[in-house]
Amino acid sequence: MKRCFFLLRGVLTLLVLGMLVTSAWASDALMDRMADFDPSNPVVPKGDTIKIGHLNPFSGPAAMNGELYHIALHWVAHDLNKQGGVMVDGKLKKIEIIKGDTMSKPINAKKAAERLILGDKVDLLWGSTGSHISLVCQQTAAKYKKIYVSALSISDSLMDAENFNRYTFHTPWTTSQAAKSLAYFYAKRPEKKFYILCQDYSFGHALAEKFKGYLKEFRPDAEIVGEDYHPLFTKDFAPYLEKIKASGAEVIFSGDWMPDSVNLLKQSRDSGLNLPFANMYMDDPITLGVVGVEGSAGLVNANQYMINDMDPRTRELNKVWNHLHDSKWEEPYNSSLYVWPLGVVASAINTTYWMMDVVERAGSTDPEKIIATWEGDKYNSFAGVLEMRACDHVTVRDTYVSEFSHPAKWFDNFSYIDKIVTVPSYVVEPPLPEGLDRCKK
Amino acid sequence: MDATTAMYVGQIMHGLAYGMLLFLVASGLTLIFGMMGILNLAHASFFMLSAYFCVSVIHMGGNFWLALLAAPIITAVIGVMVERFLLRGIHASGHIGELILTVGVMMVIMEAVQVFWGTDSHMISVPSALAGMVNIFGLQYPLYRLFVIFLALAILGLLVLFLFKTKMGMIIRAGVSDAEMVEALGINMPLVFMMVFAAGTWLAGVAGVAISPLLSVFPGMADQMGMDAFVVVVVGGFGSLLGAFVSALFFGLLNSFGIQFLPRIAPVLMFVFMVLVLSFKPKGLFGERE
Amino acid sequence: MTKIWIKTLAAIILIGLLIAFPKVMGVLNTNIFIGFAIMALFAVSLNLMLGYTGLLSFGHAMFFGLGAYTTALSLKHIDNLPISMALLLGVLGAVVCAVIVSPLLVRLSGTAFSMLTLAFGQLMYIVCLKFREVTGGADGLGGFPVPDLKIPFTGGIDMTDPVNFYYFAITVLGGCILLIWRFTKTPIGSVMISIRDNDNRVDYLGFHVPSVKSLVFIVSGGFAGAAGAIYALFQNMVSTDGVLGLFTSFNPIIMTIIGGVSSFTGPIIGAGLLTILEEFLLRYTDRIALFNGLVLILMIKFAPGGIMGIWDGVYRKWFKRRTLS
Repeated sequence: MKRCFFLLRGVLTLLVLGMLVTSAWASDALMDRMADFDPSNPVVPKGDTIKIGHLNPFSGPAAMNGELYHIALHWVAHDLNKQGGVMVDGKLKKIEIIKGDTMSKPINAKKAAERLILGDKVDLLWGSTGSHISLVCQQTAAKYKKIYVSALSISDSLMDAENFNRYTFHTPWTTSQAAKSLAYFYAKRPEKKFYILCQDYSFGHALAEKFKGYLKEFRPDAEIVGEDYHPLFTKDFAPYLEKIKASGAEVIFSGDWMPDSVNLLKQSRDSGLNLPFANMYMDDPITLGVVGVEGSAGLVNANQYMINDMDPRTRELNKVWNHLHDSKWEEPYNSSLYVWPLGVVASAINTTYWMMDVVERAGSTDPEKIIATWEGDKYNSFAGVLEMRACDHVTVRDTYVSEFSHPAKWFDNFSYIDKIVTVPSYVVEPPLPEGLDRCKK
Repeated sequence: MDATTAMYVGQIMHGLAYGMLLFLVASGLTLIFGMMGILNLAHASFFMLSAYFCVSVIHMGGNFWLALLAAPIITAVIGVMVERFLLRGIHASGHIGELILTVGVMMVIMEAVQVFWGTDSHMISVPSALAGMVNIFGLQYPLYRLFVIFLALAILGLLVLFLFKTKMGMIIRAGVSDAEMVEALGINMPLVFMMVFAAGTWLAGVAGVAISPLLSVFPGMADQMGMDAFVVVVVGGFGSLLGAFVSALFFGLLNSFGIQFLPRIAPVLMFVFMVLVLSFKPKGLFGERE
Repeated sequence: MTKIWIKTLAAIILIGLLIAFPKVMGVLNTNIFIGFAIMALFAVSLNLMLGYTGLLSFGHAMFFGLGAYTTALSLKHIDNLPISMALLLGVLGAVVCAVIVSPLLVRLSGTAFSMLTLAFGQLMYIVCLKFREVTGGADGLGGFPVPDLKIPFTGGIDMTDPVNFYYFAITVLGGCILLIWRFTKTPIGSVMISIRDNDNRVDYLGFHVPSVKSLVFIVSGGFAGAAGAIYALFQNMVSTDGVLGLFTSFNPIIMTIIGGVSSFTGPIIGAGLLTILEEFLLRYTDRIALFNGLVLILMIKFAPGGIMGIWDGVYRKWFKRRTLS
């Protein structure tokens, strides 16, 4: 009996030791694999590779987006290539990223997608910011029966009955999930007077409509005290802010993204308006750094990914990334914008690992095999469990909301994520698209 | 002051501040047009370029005041080079060539800033001396915006002094009404043109620096400003400084009160107004020259 | 006699090449070619004003965009609309717009004309951007049906097939370019050129200058509308920035300047050259607009006659013959 116990203890000790060693080895492994990763000049394998076409604007006023997601795709490619590649068709193949410049214009997006499909013969397409651009990409991909991973645009209408196609997989969250997450958060909060200030285009309007609807559901006594839609790239927000001041609002709801998000936040703080913004894109170090600790305190950010150091993979990624960012990377990736945990880039990295995992399990880049594998697939990612809903190819996931405060774990010069409210996936599951036959039971 | 009054006064102040920025950009545009007959479509690009220079000066360790001094001057130097080496040679062959050339300059500047400064947004904070709020008859108003208003007024004053009290100014005013006659008097017109182009781009440059602490500096920042300044100049009358001033203030106020009361159609109104003025009073409200 | 033979032979070879193009060059290049042909018609229609009549329009996207939006909207809202009717409606939309604005524009010339067209173009842009319920705003209108082409006694031809669409688009666009060429050869065509050179003299000769200008304006606008309509069918997506933005107006100007304003084929050559330049540069850089801008500046500065001007100079020098300008 005693001996048995001794043996058990020995086994346990060994197990713990083994785990420690493996985890240390694993963490070093990521560091080893990524040590020579240079996002400014990534190594691009040639020859018999898995080709992924990256559709995004690389020129024009929105060129920043291309640059932003370039690092995400190359990060995953570098990591997997260092592990030997991905097994498809019985062979280990390296991943090759080829970019296609959409120039933020539909005609160029279509051209770029066709150039990637027909000229470069890519296996998968991945993109793109701007829902109307992404729509063109997904239609073009479907025309040539290629998989398009719609990884960035979050409009619900992209996968509705009219626009759904079998070849497109929507991996980010959706507008309705974003709106519902914030409405859910405010169900248990004292604030009830909301002012809506969004960008004047479909996304802004759709987000506002959904937020109003969900707010009524979760918080029937809430009140919308005002509603405005400003043009994209607004210079002077002061007149809007003046209106908000006079409205008696307690919270400003805004779906703005860069550069509108940062200008709105900065101008509001500069003019003494310190109301919290319920937002989705005011979470990057540039935006928050500009308004500092006080200006960023109380911001309520909803996100599909939020850094959570309970997860060992996140800890590891965070450590390796920041080490490389601080010591190695060059322009433009050494700026404060690229400090992990940057929400949008992290989500893109996360879902790209998923995509490659699906390809590996499908054992092929054949679209039909990928479709068969991905539909209904559940993946345990570092940002929670992701499930590809089979009937409309929309991802079901938990979402996260946090009120920023100081001192925060990750940054000193501004307030950041503190307590995370997890909105469970059954609450924020996107509504099934009306009129899509595949989704009718 | 009760909340409603505060809101109205606030909107007036915001309208003035935005109008003054518009005036700084538009005054350069109108001067260049009045003098040289060139509609400089690259004008707002100089405004953006100066904002980027301001970013660089601050990144290299300079402060906002140094940037306010240096950036517009560097911008003006580039403006002079554009005038001297690009526009001057084709002045004789008519305005269409000049117009299209400014489109080319606009494209090059737009792309060049991405090559030199990257594609992301740059942020500049309000200089510490001008941070915070001031109390104007009970209204809390950001000090920096007040500074922008006074800066523009000071520059307007300088401009008026220059145009009406100096010999150079007299020549320029004469040139606006009849460039050929002035040339016939033996004045070195190419030199005058160069001076005017320098002054015009310098004014755009001042606006570019003045707006940087309010706004992120990014490659698309010139787009809307260019159109707004164009509208101001068209309505005010090409070549008319007074017209630019009045119409910049008018559109600044239209902007803030439009957002207050007619957020949906305010931007459309601006262009309707311009089309009406151009169609029925092509010289603009204060213009002397078509 | 031989000259006519050479011309006929050249035309047959050209048509043969156009027919063989999709088979030889593949779908990708075929679609690039359609994009080029749309811009070529757009630039040729613009040059009717710029090169022939001496009027620089900074708002030509207004007609292109109206053609595109009218076609897209009519296909979206009218069931079973034949593709030819959608195309005609697009042209009609642009023509109606040209008829409405022309009385205000024809009195002007020079910079004033350019400015007012810029103003109208921007007005149209902002109106389409703001009235999202109809136009879809910045996201645009997409996914409208593109019907089969119905030809009597045959089944419908599937227009979503790139090669079928190529033949349809090239026929329409080429036909339009030929029509414009015929138009420049009519007496009105000569009057246009005289207006560019000296509008007072045209007035003395008894022509009513504003009437001629508005006719040119309407014809030019109508053909730009046709280019826009084909664009809408080709893209199956119309958005404000894509068809009404400032650069939609600038692009045909740049093409015309590079190709040569004073010749009929100049804009076509300019469009082709820019398309090829873009395809070439894309492999090396994201800064295509930088090169376009530089080429534009260099052209204006050193070769204001464009490629055709250079060709003309070379031709005269080497063949010692006077050519038509």
